[in-house]
Amino acid sequence: MDQGLKEFYFFSEFLNRRVFDTTGLKVGKISDLVAERAEPYPMIIGVVVRTRGRKMFIPWEKIIQIEPRFALSETELIDLKSPLPEKDIILLREEVMDKQIVDTFGAKVVRVNDLHFLRVDSRLRLVHVDVGFRGLMRRVGWEKLVDQALRWFFSYVLPNQFISWKYVQLLSGSDLLHLSVSQKKLSHLHPADLADIIEDLSGRDRSAIFHALDTETAAEAMEEIDPKIQKAIMETIPLEKASDIVEEMSPSDAADLLGDLPEERAEEILEGMEQEKAEDLRELLVHPDETAGGLMTTAYLSLTSSVTVETAIARLKAGAPNLDIMDYIFILDEAEILQGVVSIRDLLTAHPHQPLAEIQPSRVVSVKVDEDQNEVVEAFAKYGFRALPVVDEEGHLRGVISFRSVLGIGT
Amino acid sequence: MSWALEPEGGKVIELQPPNSKLQINTNYSATLFLSLHRASPLPSPKRLRAGRPQRKAEGEGFGNQNIMVSYVKWISSSKQSLWRTIGLFFILMGPGIITSNVDNDAGGITTYSLAGAEYGLKLVWSLIPIMIALIVIQEMCARMGVVTGKGLSDLIREKFGAKITFYLVIGVFLTNMGNVLSEFAGVAAGWEVFGVNKFISVPISAFLVWLMVVKGSYKSVEKVFLIACVFYISYIITGVIVKPDWGNVFDQFLHPRLSFQPSEMTMLIGIVGTTIAPWMQFYLQASIVEKGIKTEDYKFARFDVVFGAIAVHIVAFFIILVCAETLFKHGVKIETAKDAALSLAPLAGKYCTYLFAFGLINASLFAASILPLSTTYLICEGLGWEAGIDKKFIEAPQFYGFYSLIIFLGAGIILYPSFPLIPIMYFSQVLNGMVLPFILIFMLLLINDKKLMMNYTNGPVFNIIAWVTSIVMIALTLLLIIQML
Repeated sequence: MDQGLKEFYFFSEFLNRRVFDTTGLKVGKISDLVAERAEPYPMIIGVVVRTRGRKMFIPWEKIIQIEPRFALSETELIDLKSPLPEKDIILLREEVMDKQIVDTFGAKVVRVNDLHFLRVDSRLRLVHVDVGFRGLMRRVGWEKLVDQALRWFFSYVLPNQFISWKYVQLLSGSDLLHLSVSQKKLSHLHPADLADIIEDLSGRDRSAIFHALDTETAAEAMEEIDPKIQKAIMETIPLEKASDIVEEMSPSDAADLLGDLPEERAEEILEGMEQEKAEDLRELLVHPDETAGGLMTTAYLSLTSSVTVETAIARLKAGAPNLDIMDYIFILDEAEILQGVVSIRDLLTAHPHQPLAEIQPSRVVSVKVDEDQNEVVEAFAKYGFRALPVVDEEGHLRGVISFRSVLGIGT
Repeated sequence: MSWALEPEGGKVIELQPPNSKLQINTNYSATLFLSLHRASPLPSPKRLRAGRPQRKAEGEGFGNQNIMVSYVKWISSSKQSLWRTIGLFFILMGPGIITSNVDNDAGGITTYSLAGAEYGLKLVWSLIPIMIALIVIQEMCARMGVVTGKGLSDLIREKFGAKITFYLVIGVFLTNMGNVLSEFAGVAAGWEVFGVNKFISVPISAFLVWLMVVKGSYKSVEKVFLIACVFYISYIITGVIVKPDWGNVFDQFLHPRLSFQPSEMTMLIGIVGTTIAPWMQFYLQASIVEKGIKTEDYKFARFDVVFGAIAVHIVAFFIILVCAETLFKHGVKIETAKDAALSLAPLAGKYCTYLFAFGLINASLFAASILPLSTTYLICEGLGWEAGIDKKFIEAPQFYGFYSLIIFLGAGIILYPSFPLIPIMYFSQVLNGMVLPFILIFMLLLINDKKLMMNYTNGPVFNIIAWVTSIVMIALTLLLIIQML
């Protein structure tokens, strides 16, 4: 069926366009386009026409002609509500146009000004969202004028700012709920970028995203989020999910987060967690924020000095997913007193069958658990370590401070 | 430049040395995307500011931050409900009080002075219905801000589309530009009472205002603003100094007299127009959102709004009172707020003049700080540009561009010798009146949107009050336009 389609279309060319029937009578105006909820480039499956105050759905097959004028083969229209299950379609104006989306390529939140479609055979597919000034001017109806003016005065061609649909993550709740594929777009982001994006959103969108993210991604992002916003999110998501997320977080970040929450809520979250992990966190929570104890984590690897290098590397590999400190292995005696520290570099350069006792340095640098945070920073600056063990009065290893946790102190 | 990964590109391995972000895609392992600006040895400044380590630094660097944190904790864990309530209010107050007080800006003070000088206490009763209207409208904004977590221009854009938003933004920009002009005119006039030339006072004020927002954070800026609110007391002190006849004052409130004399009606409409302006709704909602007030704590935000509206009308009342007791009684005719201040000296002593002028400077500076910022937020949010004072210039060029433009244009025009200020102010008032009806209607449509507001839409009674208020407001502003044209 030849509808006289152009190669490209913008959503603004359809919006409010008049629709006629075969006899040339006006049926109504286009108020929305309907796309299938599919990846990577959704096909347009129909239009919504507003006719006498009602919104009607017209499948794409019923359109006989688009250029030069929009005509339908029959006027028996389908009421919008009945035939379309929400999870299979996207109403482009309602859910995409003028809304905020996440550009997962550029890692930022942007507002959609227009949509760009490409003709494939006799169908249109949604390929880009337009977030630029040109798109905005097109919506307002000033595109030609502004373009001409800029060309004339500045020889400047106003560019289109397109984002490919495959990098677009919608934020409307329904999309996050229905499309498990699209969540993965967010998981591709670096946690720090995802955290920035989440901070930029409204409270409601934040909870929607956290519902949709898998626990691991949510935990990684949570570690990077501003403490005030962390707290707000923790208070809105269901308890079970909160416990899961905190469980996945690095213990030092998790302890900071729980320390900020009201005591009852923190206790509820701890109760929903694995016993062992909760114990660790309870221990970390005891220490004041501004001491070494407040900075440390308990996710490190400790071994006895008789273990061989080979075994140590294997243990490190096996434990890797849950470790905050990967750069060092801490050597303890039977009484859990810190004996030495072996770096991953020492491990890699040593003979596989050597016991750790042979490669551990004779002197070990550590800080006391109640040491002031500024002393800790000084120790890092002085020795250039990537992590520092924390011991109590008797020399028992209590935790390890990663150098990440001290970035920013004193600035 | 930024790193990129093909979403279909298979498993992604992240090598993450502690201080750089480096990503390798195993399917395209030859292609290595490394972001230049992300690979710096330290996290970006924003992370440092927003991230966790900083909190510890704050606790150590500024004792009061630490106290604040423990105060907040104490409040939220406090079992005694009265203390908890009062404490929470002090944490959450701000947006409503600030917005209302900015309402008494240079334009407001001028209007109230004129009303007092020309009609005495005759129009003072009108402050009560205006106050109620202000509370009704502001409460809706606060509620939308708390429930949706989005600014008013965001909501308008999402519901009514780009075209309407674009023209609305232009309209609000122009009216706000006019308001900014009048604020700087107020600064100039206030300082002239103290004998400072406007070529000194205006550039310095403009620069300070600009600097405060560009270099400050929302928290510090809000504190400065709350302190500025306190200085409105200078008008109340002036009011007490002039020793009014309180019996007569109460009598005026109890027996409102409405006459339909055209000049009096104009003054009445002027008072309404200066009290309820389009920018306030945007500013209030944006600062509520910025403050991150939760739905459970909404009642505090509502109290903040009501408290602010009452406070602002007390100040307005005292301004009218001062002018009525002195200028009106002695039949002194004035044209501006500066005239009012100067005419006070022979009638009530020079301290009254100084207090009055000081109040004018404070109000003008206060509004001159908030209006450009609010306007810029509105433009950027409505048109989808990056906005926020915690962003760098390069990240949000439109934001800083517009912000600087509004301030320096506003201050510059005032310094231009033969600038037709009065016609421009009139034009801005007319635009004000044209934009306000749209905003009120949009607000009413938005707040009754079930999908958006869920259980927090207007109840039937409140809806009637809100619609009646809006219709009266619209009618009055239309009257104002008709009279001006």
